[in-house]
Amino acid sequence: MELKICHLYPDVLNLYGDTGNILCMSRRLQWRGIGVSVTNAPIGSPLGLSQYDLVFIGGGQDFEQQVLLDDLHRGRDKEILAAVEDGLPFLTICGGYQMLGAYYETHTGERCDFIGALDLYTKGSDTRMIGNYKFQCSESAGGSVIVGFENHSGKTYLGPSLEPLGHVLKGFGNNGEDGTEGAHYKNVFGTYSHGPLLPKNPAFCDLLLKTALERKYGKAELAPLDDAAELAAHDEMCKKLE
Amino acid sequence: MKIKVFFALLLGRLVRWISRVIHRGGTDMPGRMALKLCPQLLRYLAKDVKAVAITGTNGKTSSARMVEQAFADAKLSYFSNRSGANLISGITTEFIMNATLTGKPKCDYAVIECDEAAAVKVFPQLRPKVVIVTNLFRDQLDRYGEVTHTLSNIRTALTGLPETTLCLNADCSLTASLAGDLPNKVIWYGLEKSAAAHDAPEPPVSDATHCIRCKTKYDYDYRTYAHLGGFRCPKCGYARHAADVAVTEIVEQKLDGSTVVMDVRGERKLVRTNLPAVYNIYNAAGALAAVTEMGIDVDTGIAALGHFNCGFGRMEQFPLGKAGARMVLVKNPAGCSQVLNFLQEMQEHFVLVVCLNDRGADGTDISWIWDAEFEKLGALGPRLEKVIVSGDRASDMLLRIKYAGVPAERLTLERSYETIVSQLNDETLPIVLMPTYTAMLELRSTVVRHVGGSEFWE
Ligand SMILES: [Zn+2]
Repeated sequence: MELKICHLYPDVLNLYGDTGNILCMSRRLQWRGIGVSVTNAPIGSPLGLSQYDLVFIGGGQDFEQQVLLDDLHRGRDKEILAAVEDGLPFLTICGGYQMLGAYYETHTGERCDFIGALDLYTKGSDTRMIGNYKFQCSESAGGSVIVGFENHSGKTYLGPSLEPLGHVLKGFGNNGEDGTEGAHYKNVFGTYSHGPLLPKNPAFCDLLLKTALERKYGKAELAPLDDAAELAAHDEMCKKLE
Repeated sequence: MKIKVFFALLLGRLVRWISRVIHRGGTDMPGRMALKLCPQLLRYLAKDVKAVAITGTNGKTSSARMVEQAFADAKLSYFSNRSGANLISGITTEFIMNATLTGKPKCDYAVIECDEAAAVKVFPQLRPKVVIVTNLFRDQLDRYGEVTHTLSNIRTALTGLPETTLCLNADCSLTASLAGDLPNKVIWYGLEKSAAAHDAPEPPVSDATHCIRCKTKYDYDYRTYAHLGGFRCPKCGYARHAADVAVTEIVEQKLDGSTVVMDVRGERKLVRTNLPAVYNIYNAAGALAAVTEMGIDVDTGIAALGHFNCGFGRMEQFPLGKAGARMVLVKNPAGCSQVLNFLQEMQEHFVLVVCLNDRGADGTDISWIWDAEFEKLGALGPRLEKVIVSGDRASDMLLRIKYAGVPAERLTLERSYETIVSQLNDETLPIVLMPTYTAMLELRSTVVRHVGGSEFWE
């Protein structure tokens, strides 16, 4: 077995230790004797999403956003949209998560059109939602408790048909108002939890890997790993947030 | 005005005296209280002091120590904020302690390290004669925000100071962009292609891939580390400026320092620094640019680089264990990767202690550890005999190093610095201590208690 992972826009969406998530997925596959390859798809490169089994998109700086939008609107937005509908697994974080939505509206009222693969939109605000936080994934997303760090001023609102990834236990989540965090649509998992999201949340990482493997091979069982260190870090942050 | 200054100074002194009596450092509070009483106090105290200010993401403290040594060797009367208190409160404290109660300065010169976000408040009052901007990297995003935000802060801080000479890192596309928008005289420093012998690869995470002016992807003639090097925008022509203080050759790089050839404003010189690693070669070039601008002759400036005292936790050496220990502060991915690079180049087997905290001064977001190239530790194999992780976020650090490929049997977590240091007392291998800022304060005092050395504020 082998997973082909695509890291989309690592040249501009790489703000908060995003590569840690790629590293985590790769290692957890390797430790189980499953093959893995990671392909970087920077700005300007042809995508060819159909050749991949899982796509990762991280968060970015405002500075590069225009570069990114120009590239997206050269047809990549349609390709990503089609891949989402086709059930390709995506893990998208922060800016990458917002980007899959319909649009971003700055607090001065300017609107940037995004991909529109998820029924959500984001509005800029002048409050920064920042800090360690935790949320409980919904049943369809494995039900585990996730600890992470959020740092965003954009408030994301989900359309009525879109399921959140989970519900906030401590912190802000999508908008600090409705208690939702992230989004889960088909095999897309979007969240504000950046940086070392997967290493400290091994159950969620394995859910992603299993989703990708099952889509590719029909059936997949993941052998258990020694997650003592992962769970210790997870539990420690959970306690800190009580 | 005068009477307000007098009372502010009096208050500052009093707070300082109390701090010392109750054994608090007292580097920040005196200035903070005095500024409350007289918000323009620093402007008043600094007006007859010729200051060199050093700001930027990495290398501020080491650069300041280099400049300071040149001042000392040139027999100038000066003071500096050695304690590392580099916000306006700490800088003002230093000026209070170096002024008479009527506000007359006791020294002609000052060497001031200034936090890059605090420069906006500090520079308009300090009005430095020379400013060194070392470099700009992403750093503690929760505290500083995006790196372009820090850059525009520094630009604002320098606006209104047209008489100030800027010493800018020519190889950092972010830092160098300051020159285009400001009327100031600029002295450029950097590494030439001939000094970048092993052309560094494109880093996995770069802080400045796209042109700061027009957002086109840069081309590079060569790279030295991270985003530093011979950058060039293919669209608008923004490119590295030729350096006035130019490192043309790296002769030797060793644990205890580097030997390089520099063109210093047209003169070819052999320069030895007593701190290792490429980033300190940059610091040396920047310091040389600044001290020569202050009127110190080139040879005095160069000699100072060979025997200055490095700052707290900047490759600071301690007689801990049988082979000694070095403490090196890490605080952001670019700086941390440079230290890891240095460890990779070390020939000896060694023991590593990494202490990660997430308090205010460290940055509460520890995501950056995943951007630093800890994989270099995994690649060291048995040369890395043991890694001990500690600090408030020890378990996160443990994960980072586990995923970097260091085998579990060489990796331990120990919370107590006391236990770590007493165990290391018997260690026969060289020790490298790698703490974040607040972890360094604690770890360092534990080490000092065991083997001697001075406290921070002394
Ligand atoms: Zn350009």
